[in-house]
Amino acid sequence: MNEAQKILDESISRLFADTVTRELLTRVEAEPWDENLWSSAMELGLPQVLVSEARDGMGGGWLEAFVVARACGRYAVPLPIVEQMLAGYLCDRADLSIPEGVVGLLPEILPAASVGVAGVRTQVRRVPWGRRADWYLGLTDAEELVLIGNDKVRLEAETNLAREPRDTVIFEGSPVLGRGRPLLPADSIRWLGALLRSAQIAGAAAAALEMSVRYTSDREQFGRKLSQFQAIQHHLAELAGQLSSVDTIVMAACVALEQRGMQGDGRHAAFEIAAAKCRASEAVEPLTRLSHQVHGAIGFTYEYDLQFLTRRLWSWRAEFGAHGEWGEYLGRVAANQGGDQIWAWLTA
Amino acid sequence: MNIENLRFPHYELPASLTPLREEVRAFLREELGAYRPVVRSNSWDGTDAAFSRKLGAKGWLGMTLPKAYGGHGRSALERYVVVEETLAAGAPVGYHWVADRQSGLMVARLGTEAQKQTIIPAITAGEACFAIGMSEPNSGSDLASVRSKAEKVADGWLLNGTKIWTSNAHNATHMIALFRTDSSPDAKHKGLSQFLIDMRTAKGITPRPIRDLTGRGHFNEVSFVDVLLPPDALLGKEGDGWNQVTAELAYERSGPERYLSCFVLLAELIKVLDGRASPATLAKIGAEIAWAVTLRNMSLSVAGMLNEGKDPGLQASIVKDLGCHFEQRLPGLAQELVALEPSIGDSGSDYQQVLGNLMLLAPSFSLRGGTLEILRGIIARGLGVR
Repeated sequence: MNEAQKILDESISRLFADTVTRELLTRVEAEPWDENLWSSAMELGLPQVLVSEARDGMGGGWLEAFVVARACGRYAVPLPIVEQMLAGYLCDRADLSIPEGVVGLLPEILPAASVGVAGVRTQVRRVPWGRRADWYLGLTDAEELVLIGNDKVRLEAETNLAREPRDTVIFEGSPVLGRGRPLLPADSIRWLGALLRSAQIAGAAAAALEMSVRYTSDREQFGRKLSQFQAIQHHLAELAGQLSSVDTIVMAACVALEQRGMQGDGRHAAFEIAAAKCRASEAVEPLTRLSHQVHGAIGFTYEYDLQFLTRRLWSWRAEFGAHGEWGEYLGRVAANQGGDQIWAWLTA
Repeated sequence: MNIENLRFPHYELPASLTPLREEVRAFLREELGAYRPVVRSNSWDGTDAAFSRKLGAKGWLGMTLPKAYGGHGRSALERYVVVEETLAAGAPVGYHWVADRQSGLMVARLGTEAQKQTIIPAITAGEACFAIGMSEPNSGSDLASVRSKAEKVADGWLLNGTKIWTSNAHNATHMIALFRTDSSPDAKHKGLSQFLIDMRTAKGITPRPIRDLTGRGHFNEVSFVDVLLPPDALLGKEGDGWNQVTAELAYERSGPERYLSCFVLLAELIKVLDGRASPATLAKIGAEIAWAVTLRNMSLSVAGMLNEGKDPGLQASIVKDLGCHFEQRLPGLAQELVALEPSIGDSGSDYQQVLGNLMLLAPSFSLRGGTLEILRGIIARGLGVR
């Protein structure tokens, strides 16, 4: 991280460390929106990180986005900041002005035919904070970016395991607010969403490790601190290794995306992005298992904070594709390259 | 605990190293054409003095050692490229491995003028084969309990004792060994010193190869009976052996060899599946590809930190811990995905031979250069709980 990224990291951490409290996290599970927190995040300019300066954005790149997404994961921020940031990027790339208010980012590819003169008619599942959205944003199978108004929208409320809204949104002739071409593949929301979820996983994993170190250093059993038992130390060491592996590959994917983009022939960021989500999702199993293990029964209670992290880790593991799906992609890359060429591919 | 201490800063090799990588790759393609995959799967357990001399002639050994003594004065990153290319290709690098990785650096840093002038040119030429005399029959991971003794006598040092698990001692031209120079009960760490031993001239040293699971005798028990060394055989400072060995172990734990031991198997596995794999099988291969690219990034980060003069002890331990799990997982995974049995000796296909060989070598991956338990202790210390 360079100095500017460190400052960004610190200012986000300051905001969330003070405001994302246990009370807030508990409250939003029943009533999933905190306007004060959202306003503070907006004031800090977080959704504008990937928007160009010409459009009054922060003009940041994917490493800045990594910093923001990781901090959102670390503090279990119950807001669609990552989604808003990605929406800003897509609109900016398609040269569309970004509407006011909260976006409902559509994680599925829209059939181009569903976008007609009479508005948009389709159904999209698992839309983050779909119920709260002032507007929606999706990519069609014709690689067109479509901005949709929240009129003539029917909602079926659902949540992920962390009780973050993941609603089914049914567009019944909703107005098209804008259309444009971001010059990206039709499944880009899935790829970029996978990358940012991986960064959130890295953040939540770091918090789970910190909590585990703190708890085992405080709690005494058999006349010793838990952290003085070698078995516990080895659990913590394994947690640290899993966390480091995720953090490293996600950062590498962000650098690759910044440097090489994610389309075209040959080796580009798609490889690292797939590796990042594959590794991050696969790591969720040991990360959650071990952090719960070292906490004992208290970590399994609702009143202890670990669960705000682990329930998100389990949810984010699957969102934008779990390790099986991304692993299959990577396996296909390996098969296409062949055994003799795989090293050259890795180092290209 | 500060989570920032755990980070692996992103590091990329400069593009200026690409021509070197291509040159090494072309050389290896030429040289290794005749080596069967099972031979290549021995990687740094495979010794081939002729190959090491060829690598030396190319200028690819002792790359970072000072020019004044016959080294090449090149960067640690240039060496990194050569090392990862030779390992990924499964080149038989064992003859020069220890010399190039650590002994040369130890001599350059701690050696006397005479030691530097004789040793460094030999390492650079690929003619020196170094062994590491650390463990003893009753001191495995617990090096502070080393009991082999070096006594100061009128014409030098008199060594007695036994070293064990000493790779390549039977081929070695030299050994850097840890001996106790102060046996008083309260000396402990402070009573240790390192010696640079010429295995070809010293009398009273007997390496006895120990057969391992493969049936080969790669490591040794080495007995020292009244071995008289000249006064200048001491390496570094008397009584400073513990600190010197700790620094030496850091060289051992930071390189790409800690995740690449089974890379030849991964390549053979992809070949044997030959595009006919089910989605579930592809997903399993893909998860390991994700590990491979992750570990490479972590390993590069360690190389970058070393290059910037930082101490990546914690990060290196994490890479070795994760890396040896990756290596050790691959034979089992291959067995899960492909219905071919491992073979030993010359029977079976290339794939079966590689699988059999690495299955038998794999238990050593989490033992050599610091057991996984030792590494996890280091990581725990980095987390502030030890």
